[in-house]
Amino acid sequence: MAGDGCCPLLSVTPTRCLVDEKFEVLVQGLCPGSQVTLHALTQTEDGDYWDAFGHYVSDATGSVKVSEHCSVGGSYEGIEPMGLLWSMKPVPGSRTGLRFRKKDVSIPIEVHISVYKGHMTEGFKEQTPLASVVAERWYIAPGIQRISITEKGIKGTLFLPPGPGPFPAVFDLWGGAGGLVEYRSALLASRGYVCLTLKYVGLVKDGKEHNVGNDYFEAAYTVLQEHPKVCPDKIAVMGLSFGVSVTLGMTVYSPVIQPACLVCVSGSHVMPVNGCLADVFAAIKKNVRNTRYDEEQRIIWRDLLLPIPDDPSKKVEVGRIKCPVMLIVGEDDQNWPATESAEDMKQMMEKAGNSHLLTILSYPKTGHLIEPPYSPHCRASNFVMAESKSKVVALWGGETVPHCLAQEDSWQKTLAFLKKHLYSDTSMCKL
Amino acid sequence: MFSSSIRELLCLRQLYRAIISGQRCKAQVGLRTYCRPAPLLTASPTRALIDELITVEGCFLTPNSPITVRARMHSEDGDLWESLAYYYTDGRGTVNLNRDSSIGGSYVGCEPMGLFWSLQAAPGEREGLRLRKRDVETPYLVDLSVLQGHISSCDGAGGQGMRAEQEVAAVKVERWYMSPGVRRVEIRQNGVVGTLFMPPGPGPFPGVLDLWGMGGGLVEYRSALFASHGLASFALAYFDHKDIPGPAKRVNVKDSYFKTAFEILQNHPQICSDRVAVVGLSFGVYLTLKIATQLSVNPSCIICINGPLGSFNKSFNENGVSGTFDEHQEYWSYDEHNNVSFREMSSPKNIPPENFVKIENLNCPLLYILGEDDLSCAAVENADEIEKRLRAVGKSHLFNCVSYPGAGHLIEPPYTPNARASLWTTRPTKLITLWGGNLAQHAVAQEDSWKRILGFLDLYLRQSD
Repeated sequence: MAGDGCCPLLSVTPTRCLVDEKFEVLVQGLCPGSQVTLHALTQTEDGDYWDAFGHYVSDATGSVKVSEHCSVGGSYEGIEPMGLLWSMKPVPGSRTGLRFRKKDVSIPIEVHISVYKGHMTEGFKEQTPLASVVAERWYIAPGIQRISITEKGIKGTLFLPPGPGPFPAVFDLWGGAGGLVEYRSALLASRGYVCLTLKYVGLVKDGKEHNVGNDYFEAAYTVLQEHPKVCPDKIAVMGLSFGVSVTLGMTVYSPVIQPACLVCVSGSHVMPVNGCLADVFAAIKKNVRNTRYDEEQRIIWRDLLLPIPDDPSKKVEVGRIKCPVMLIVGEDDQNWPATESAEDMKQMMEKAGNSHLLTILSYPKTGHLIEPPYSPHCRASNFVMAESKSKVVALWGGETVPHCLAQEDSWQKTLAFLKKHLYSDTSMCKL
Repeated sequence: MFSSSIRELLCLRQLYRAIISGQRCKAQVGLRTYCRPAPLLTASPTRALIDELITVEGCFLTPNSPITVRARMHSEDGDLWESLAYYYTDGRGTVNLNRDSSIGGSYVGCEPMGLFWSLQAAPGEREGLRLRKRDVETPYLVDLSVLQGHISSCDGAGGQGMRAEQEVAAVKVERWYMSPGVRRVEIRQNGVVGTLFMPPGPGPFPGVLDLWGMGGGLVEYRSALFASHGLASFALAYFDHKDIPGPAKRVNVKDSYFKTAFEILQNHPQICSDRVAVVGLSFGVYLTLKIATQLSVNPSCIICINGPLGSFNKSFNENGVSGTFDEHQEYWSYDEHNNVSFREMSSPKNIPPENFVKIENLNCPLLYILGEDDLSCAAVENADEIEKRLRAVGKSHLFNCVSYPGAGHLIEPPYTPNARASLWTTRPTKLITLWGGNLAQHAVAQEDSWKRILGFLDLYLRQSD
């Protein structure tokens, strides 16, 4: 029944969920046919505000249901159940070059969702909304244990689901921006996997930054393998960007790292055969003259590994991979030549006869940073160069709507892929 | 799949080929064990409000096999509560509590939330317990497990019945009485003692005055839930609270106390003064009816759960003397275990006529929630009496009643266990009181009545003009 507009009710269901779960945003008790703006606001750990908004018209019952009604304007348009999240951008006046990344997974992202009268495009802070609620979005489910790993010289974090196990596991490798990135591992652990995420760029030894050798990754992988709650033959490696170089290289050349399957996001197989991290950096540096800039002086690095070499000694021999591989590439990746690499890998595997192991998910107008679903899209952001420490703006690529669609789709397919190859593969039961 | 000997060969060949930063890589041989991952148990959402449905599913279990699904949690007092249900997995090795039927245990049939409303104090725990949340700002943490076979809870002490190794998968869920953004505000104002729960946002909000029974104290969880649904809700203390002065075991507040409480809501800058309801359970019903008819305030609607139209206590007259609950024990009755039922104390035929609330003066809609197995209050008779009196003055249209077979006195927010009896007092001797209610039927009543309560409040607080 329509309301008289006096006490509209805004609800988000559920108010607490994981970041890859959907919520329902519902406004009731408006006058029928009223123009309203739904607005979402969050403050990151760095103190920056991000927001999104959609313009709606209430129906004959005085309601707006985001999952079913059409946004006719704002930061997203059309019927977009999660548009209030993925279309978020830093609010006007923010610092530039920001990227949305959660550091502390033990606290949720708090999103303030409000409904305003009329179709507003700015001035949300100054205007009192009709109603406002708070939704929590978590990277980690209750009961997941977070354990710092420092043995064997490794710097990583292990996430352990509750229960007796044993569990399949994911070895989670991020990219060249470095640091210890936990959120994807926390989320995967919440889906039933023991996850180890590793810091491998920017590590300091004897007071100096150094590039880790392959034994570093092998030691970390062994930590997973030897964990009493892990099935040692049910480990996947998931890499993004630089992490793909490590993933492919180690899978093919390391006798220690023998995963059950691989997920490679926005990366390349172009690296010296049997090389290590230092070799990849060197190969990239050699081509630095191929760096391009867009009209806003943002760095395009995709050409640094192009053209894809014909010389087999300059690429990981993907024809030797013995486990299922899923490549996820954005066709507008401005940072790595992911599409060209995927195509070349496909050809190599077809020649070698193992292409039946390969799945390629290729997304048009999608950039480099393919993150968990409903995360805001980042087309470009600040980047600190590994050695020189100079600050640049890297162009990642992608257009918001298709990129966010790719995040949602690729995550669902990643979870299904991991489930298929780590959980439901019927292996022989032999202990 | 590779046998270990072929794998060893591959390791050695790769060993010779590897050039790793000047160090030899270590081949981990002999560690290959073929290991089947444990089954997966999932719950969605893992953080839910008390009245939100949680979908519990298991997969990668042995097909067509007996399993036990179990919930365990500790109350704030440290007691272990437990429920379990027996299922069979389907041909694909899955179980889904929204789809499948339990064939035994704490509940039977298809009961998506059965694990939560059938929780009982585990064997060996103290007697006469009732599950009630005191701190509404923290959740209940519930451990859900799936175990092989149909396991019964232990017979021995200490809850050791189920061997730990029978558990094959687990997941943890949080159950909250409060949404994020709800504010809890302690009220000690004009002599009134209570806790106000404000929804997030600027308001103004409709308001609810929330009254409980002669258990006393300050019960916050229903108000916290109301605020999580956008209603400003004021949980009021009026009996047996340390901040209310006066002799123990007596109701020391007068009519004016309740009027002041109602006005605190009306005068609050974030509450619509003309959209305030009153909700009462048990003795709180008597108070609710009094507020609506004799205190010259005008609630938009009232909700009465299992409570009386009249009271032996004249405690709420301005010039009256307050009586104690322990008077009129001639109306207490006892079962074969010496558990006491207070039911007849509230039977209309036993209450002096001048002690009835003047229900004829009611001017707002009333929803009466009735548990037919109420052993603490003569709810059926009181509901009938209210209806009769309203009909006599042509106000039947104000009366709405929902009656639940098999439901007891304590009709509370849904998916929480009913206590058919619980500890009432330990002084002068231990006394357990009967509330009534059969577990499954009571659960139905809680689920259905909560929806009706929220719907009724929505209708008269948001939609009317």
